[in-house]
Amino acid sequence: MFERFTRGARDVVTGAVEQSERAGADAIDDGHLLLALLDREGTRASFALAALGADRRREDITRALAEARRRGGLTQAETEALAGLGIDVEQIVSRVEEAHGAGALAGVGARRERKGIGAWIGHRGFTRDAKDILERALRIATARRDRSIGDEHILLALTTRPGVAGEVLADHGVTRMTVERVLYQP
Amino acid sequence: MTEATDLAARAGDRDPRVGLRAVTALRRLVEQLEAVQVRSARQQGWSWQEIAAELGVSRQAVHKKHGRQ
Repeated sequence: MFERFTRGARDVVTGAVEQSERAGADAIDDGHLLLALLDREGTRASFALAALGADRRREDITRALAEARRRGGLTQAETEALAGLGIDVEQIVSRVEEAHGAGALAGVGARRERKGIGAWIGHRGFTRDAKDILERALRIATARRDRSIGDEHILLALTTRPGVAGEVLADHGVTRMTVERVLYQP
Repeated sequence: MTEATDLAARAGDRDPRVGLRAVTALRRLVEQLEAVQVRSARQQGWSWQEIAAELGVSRQAVHKKHGRQ
């Protein structure tokens, strides 16, 4: 599958590895893929993100991702669903951080994949979420009969998968529908 | 936060989507909390056997799940 990645898509994958290393994370997740996408210039995905104004809100996006990471990777929707059960996630996070240090819930317990993409990239593992994003990107490219997998397919994959990255993108006006509109409609 | 309040109110109206999402979220939260606690126990010198006994699972199960930490 990886031989079909364009240069831009490969840059996103290696950029995500760097993001993860810089953050001292256990593994590469969908948030790292999104941050790497926001770093790209002159690609299809960067064009789409700029057209939707998301490139100018990079700091907001970074902050939202960091917040979700601090909550152990729970999305805002999940946090609200738990509030409906009377569970205050913020309070749990604060207590855990009091006992175990700031960021205690961030980046723990993420299952790493050591086959496929994980093996391709070396010793650092991808979370199941991140691996699923790349597989979705392949399926989206195939469905569109695009011959190679570009970074725009990774962006589309992020918008279609429920999770932190998809939720943060949607909050900033980047959904499958809006991305397809700026990319594929004349 | 009004959205959270809405959801909290809707939890009572038995919308399965909200209930199922809450269950999934709770499961994820439990996994994260378990990882934090196991790591802390290991740092304090607990054996896998001791951790497994507290969690009510086999030593092999806990080691397989958290052994790389």
